[in-house]
Amino acid sequence: MTPVAGGSALSLSFGFSLLTVITLLIYTKNQDYRLFLVGQRLALGVSFFIFIATFILSYQLIISNFDIDYVARYTSIETPTIYKISALWAGQSGSLLFWLFILSIFSTITIIQNQNKHHELMPWVIISLTITQMFFLILTNYVTNPFKPTEADFIVTNGNGLNPLLQNITMAIHPPTLYLGYVGFSVPFAFAISALVNRDTSPLWIQSIRRWVLVAWLFLSMGIILGGWWAYQELGWGGYWAWDPVENASFMPWLTATAFLHSIIIQEKKDMLRLWNMVLIILTFTLCIFGTFLTRSGVMSSVHSFTESSLGPIFLSFVFLILIASFGIMYIRLDDLKSPRKIESFTSRESGFLFNNMVFVVLCFAVFWGTLFPVISEAVRGIKITVGAPFFNQINTPIGLILLALTGVGPLLAWRRTGAKNLIRNFTFPIISGFVAAIFFIIIGYKGYAVISFSLCVFVTVSIMTEFSQGIRARTNKFKESVFIALVKMISKNRSRYGGYIVHVGIVLMFVGFTGHAFDREKEFSLQIGQVDHVAGYEFELINLSESERPNHYAWISELRVSDNQGRFITNLYPEKRVYFHKNPDINRRQPHSELDIYSTLNKDIYSIFSSIDNEKGIAFLKIMINPLVKWVWIGGYVLVFGTVIALWPRKEK
Amino acid sequence: MIDLIRDYGLILLFFVLPILFVLEPFFFSNAGSLNKKDEFSILKRKKILLYRQIKELEMEYDIGNINNRDFVQMRDKLKQEVSEVISKLNK
Repeated sequence: MTPVAGGSALSLSFGFSLLTVITLLIYTKNQDYRLFLVGQRLALGVSFFIFIATFILSYQLIISNFDIDYVARYTSIETPTIYKISALWAGQSGSLLFWLFILSIFSTITIIQNQNKHHELMPWVIISLTITQMFFLILTNYVTNPFKPTEADFIVTNGNGLNPLLQNITMAIHPPTLYLGYVGFSVPFAFAISALVNRDTSPLWIQSIRRWVLVAWLFLSMGIILGGWWAYQELGWGGYWAWDPVENASFMPWLTATAFLHSIIIQEKKDMLRLWNMVLIILTFTLCIFGTFLTRSGVMSSVHSFTESSLGPIFLSFVFLILIASFGIMYIRLDDLKSPRKIESFTSRESGFLFNNMVFVVLCFAVFWGTLFPVISEAVRGIKITVGAPFFNQINTPIGLILLALTGVGPLLAWRRTGAKNLIRNFTFPIISGFVAAIFFIIIGYKGYAVISFSLCVFVTVSIMTEFSQGIRARTNKFKESVFIALVKMISKNRSRYGGYIVHVGIVLMFVGFTGHAFDREKEFSLQIGQVDHVAGYEFELINLSESERPNHYAWISELRVSDNQGRFITNLYPEKRVYFHKNPDINRRQPHSELDIYSTLNKDIYSIFSSIDNEKGIAFLKIMINPLVKWVWIGGYVLVFGTVIALWPRKEK
Repeated sequence: MIDLIRDYGLILLFFVLPILFVLEPFFFSNAGSLNKKDEFSILKRKKILLYRQIKELEMEYDIGNINNRDFVQMRDKLKQEVSEVISKLNK
């Protein structure tokens, strides 16, 4: 009965979504306010039924109701409860329902938040959000229904269980965070479409969505960082970013969203770049849908699997529909999108922002091209030509470094124009610092991009510090405050500006971590108990090999003693070789997995992988990697989140 | 009995309550629009935005990022815009 209720909730939600769009379209013609209220409530109804469907599926996952195909395929009796819940987004139909669930939360918040404001904009905002919901409702109702009963030929005894790689706490958090980012851009997009329809292209609509953009951007950033963290902790190849299509799918909207986040400042302050901002938000939202398409359609494994599944073509049609409809409306409204002001000087903050925008979009295009190239080559020539990490690194590293440099240049430029005197005053110290750093790094033996990256990190840090010190000096002179009070008040009164600078500091720290990759070392070897081997000046001794049976897996645990080249003890590492579903009588269903162990410091990570074991001879096959500066990527991530929260923190308007 | 309660409960939850909730405005609200209120809130937001811009401009000037001539010109323009908005709000 309950699964039927879940399916019915989805059907009712689809019906309500149709009624919402029709009612609000009628309202836009006859302006009967009651129709607007009815449309608003219908939209809340759409979300209400989606909430019910999501809760029903979550409950069925928790109680292991294997009558539902999805539950049988992604959980087993032994799956811990937390991972039974996270199984909601582990499979295709569940993850699409989860997309809908988050969109419904955002839609409900938007409707409630704007009950008494934006009456001009809200009908089209709700229509846009509901059409997006409708699309996912079509998928979950008619293409891949999460409440589909278990097929008669699918033998269920204990459930298939969740992929061991997904049985990790980061993986329980990473997809929801990423989805919050993806879905979050639906709201600014809906406002943008509504602003276009209503010919309201002034800075005011931008002001309404600035917070939404920041929230979505924050979650998307956190999702990407958590994904990298999970890959680093769980996948066992020693890296956090492989330019995998799924990773790129989240990175592309992040790039355009970051460009948008910068360019809306120009529109808000100077009423410029109206058209450009529309293009960016449309691209960002489309890339969010496109990202979901890439991960869910199977197109990346083969164009044939794309055409075989009905999901791929429907998704792609929706992507084209968004592009055609959005750019169509934009074309009709071109006259309204002409900004009343123009950029006055090349050496102005406006032009710095615009240039940074261009670089973001170029970077996005490079990632887009590299990601889709295998698909395009297979479709056109019948041969799949894969471009791997070397292609992306070769193209994107210089572009990334230009962006890093611009992060330092932007704050040093004044609005409107920067005079020669100010240019010299603002740039001298950061540029000299960058050069001194470059000379230092060359002297200690660094080469190539590593020198450029580290020196740019110094340049940007000094430029941000200059900006902070100038602000503090201005306040101490004007209000006679102490340095500390001036700093606190300066940040508190200009949260978006200084929060943004803190985010830039986070980006710099992340670049320090990225650059450390140039100095990675690794070695594979085998050890018996008591034997030692050396990697990059460290000694590894296998002290012990033990076994343990746990609720959902069987584990072989190696104990490695790590010491430095002078024999001083550093740490013990315990990488494991696991077999999940070890009780399954079908050997093919048992899943081996290497659970690694990492000793992490600010300077470097010692990364240990237990690749396999020879039980008869008691030999452990191990892989050790020495990864310098990785921790700075995660520290940079924390700083980025901290800065965004400062920028987001609401302020009282006097 | 429990089955009956559950079935009626579901019907109530899925059909009756949502339909009553959705149709309620037809019975208890007046036709018309809130556009006047909307205009007022737009002007208020515009005023806040302009005040914020003036504060930021003053800060840029204090830091030394804008010369005196540009500062006076830009501040006067923003002040004029604020006074127009305030006079509209007062009306």
